[in-house]
Amino acid sequence: MQKRLYYILLLILTGIGFWFIGQRLMNGMLVTNLTSSFSWGLWVVFYIFFIGLSAGSFLLSTMIYVFKMHALEKIGRLSLLSALFSLVGGLMFVLIDLGHPERFWYTLVHRNFTSVLEWEIHFYLLYIMLVLGELWLVMRDDLSLMATNETGMRGKLGRIFSMGYRTVANPEGRVKQSQFAGRWVRILGILGVPMAIAVHGGTGSIFAVQIAKPALNSAIIPIIFIVSALVSGAALITFLYAFFGKQDKDKPNVIASLTNLLVLFIGIDLLLVAAEFLIGLYGGIPDDVHSLKEILTGSYGLVFWIGQIGLAVVIPILLIFLARKTDGDYRLQGLAGLSTVLGIIAVRINLVMPAYITPPLHGLDKAFVDSRLLYSYFPSTNEIFSSVGIIAFVILMFSVAWEWLPILERNNHPNQGRRSNDYGINPKGTTHKA
Amino acid sequence: MSKIIEDDAPQKVPRREAIRNMVKATLGLTAGIAVVSAGKALAKPGNEQQQTTTLEPLAKQIPQDQLIYRMHRELYKALEKPVAERKWAMVIDTRKCVGCFSCTVGCIAENKLPPGVVYRPVIEEEFGSYPHLARRFLPRPCMHCTNSPCTKVCPVAATYKREDGIVVIDYDKCIGCRYCISACPYGARTFDWGEYHTQGTPNIEKYELVPSFEYGDKRERQKKQSPINNTRKCHFCLHRLNAGMLPMCVTTCMGRATYFGDKSDPESLVFELIGSSNLMRLKEELGTEPNVFYLI
Repeated sequence: MQKRLYYILLLILTGIGFWFIGQRLMNGMLVTNLTSSFSWGLWVVFYIFFIGLSAGSFLLSTMIYVFKMHALEKIGRLSLLSALFSLVGGLMFVLIDLGHPERFWYTLVHRNFTSVLEWEIHFYLLYIMLVLGELWLVMRDDLSLMATNETGMRGKLGRIFSMGYRTVANPEGRVKQSQFAGRWVRILGILGVPMAIAVHGGTGSIFAVQIAKPALNSAIIPIIFIVSALVSGAALITFLYAFFGKQDKDKPNVIASLTNLLVLFIGIDLLLVAAEFLIGLYGGIPDDVHSLKEILTGSYGLVFWIGQIGLAVVIPILLIFLARKTDGDYRLQGLAGLSTVLGIIAVRINLVMPAYITPPLHGLDKAFVDSRLLYSYFPSTNEIFSSVGIIAFVILMFSVAWEWLPILERNNHPNQGRRSNDYGINPKGTTHKA
Repeated sequence: MSKIIEDDAPQKVPRREAIRNMVKATLGLTAGIAVVSAGKALAKPGNEQQQTTTLEPLAKQIPQDQLIYRMHRELYKALEKPVAERKWAMVIDTRKCVGCFSCTVGCIAENKLPPGVVYRPVIEEEFGSYPHLARRFLPRPCMHCTNSPCTKVCPVAATYKREDGIVVIDYDKCIGCRYCISACPYGARTFDWGEYHTQGTPNIEKYELVPSFEYGDKRERQKKQSPINNTRKCHFCLHRLNAGMLPMCVTTCMGRATYFGDKSDPESLVFELIGSSNLMRLKEELGTEPNVFYLI
């Protein structure tokens, strides 16, 4: 019943959102509240939010498949899956943000090698293929099992997604197969680390390379993007695993590792933000100072103090600290994760929007007055509802995938390649103290 | 500036004399009303009548006005060269700009700009405080930077720098991502949101639907079709240049404060003016090397 309500709610939100997206596609950018001075708004905020979520989740998965953090093994597939769907979400947002969405493929035909955005689009595509490949490799044994052992919809899905792959019966063959998968997961993971950094560091660079925006034109911006991506990825997986992960003997370790990582990432992120603010305010470049002051005490103050500091720093750390005393109940950690994910939206808002509030030339704001030349912005109804729709759609797809594909459960056969390589590490042992 | 006046030798009239003549001419036409205002107000009405008849035709009395012919001549000369050898530049004399906005309006009329799109706004600035006050008007077209930050970032190479220095947009290629708008340090790019002045009235008026001839294409502004949902910007009236006409803002400038020409031609007016010591470019520190110069 609860599940049905959940899906109905998601479907309704998706439906409403898609109606608004339809309006957007029919009427053009007219439906937004964007202006020529404030040229990027809510959709771009969600675009970088989702790309960050994707890169963060993926980097978390590499800790398992590349850096062999065995305590986190349980969440390997989960993080790959969320990397995949977050990226899809991010690309949907960037698509509806285009004035001519029907021309999106021009980016692959008409090239401009000095454009960061152009490079990024290529990175996104390579990255999505890499994530898909890795996800398939880690799931193929279970998919094959689904195809052979199950009937109905699940069997059908297994047959489709296993793409003809079947786990062989004899033990030697099985070991060979799992070694092959393990090796390739590792190779893809190693390729994926620079790729994920390029994906989100590059997304940060899209903003940072603009000499026109002193508030963004700083080398620390891409780094903040990457670190906050790690924060959001770790937070999302913490939330999902704490609430929906199976209760078993591994769970305390996984949760402890995740929360430790989360707190570490939040700490680094906070340090970088502090550096950005202190250097910026001390430096005193007027446009930069204007944006920073607007974030600290001005119109973005609430977003900063409640969202960026409250939801993404204070509350999660407090909850994780409090949760140390509760045993076997991970709701507090889960809430910490959720609060951080929501707080990262505030981080993204403050990364994009405050850079656009200062006229590039003194007096330009009063030179020619038009509602589409303002230096202030609040998203329109269409922007808000289409965003809600896309988010609901991504959650819906993710939930369906989670339900139908072998994401969390692992069958007891030696399907993990790295198991056969003995590095002298006890994979079941804790790498972190709970 | 004296060099420019000398250039127009046939109409050479000492400036002071010309002004005096003009003052007297005004007096003559207003016959007796402004007798006192001329300073040495001893002249009798009869005398003034006599002096009016000795006035030369107006065009010869404002040597500055010959500049438009000179720019025109130079434009023709430049058009004879191959495109790659022309280097278009604009010089704006802020001391002569009176803030009439005729460039802004002329540009809007020429390019049929919809609401929200503007290529050449004029920034008004005020300096000092009473009684020592000054105002400055700073028209801001696209700077057509030599190192243009906007063309660098375009993901589809829809905006690019032509060989003659003009930064243009290929409307049919532009995907409308607005990255260039964000990357321009001068705010010189605006987005066409698809709005009409007469939106919401029973019908959109004809004047908003007439085609514009930007980049030499005849383009009707229709829903969902370029240039709607594209970035738009000043292009030095490329379509006019190719037809042997000066940019609209140069033509309509009533104070003759905007000069345009080929800066690679050492005999051109803009080349001459770029050699002034009171020359300035906007945000020089960014290294964008604008091709719009200001005389201050």
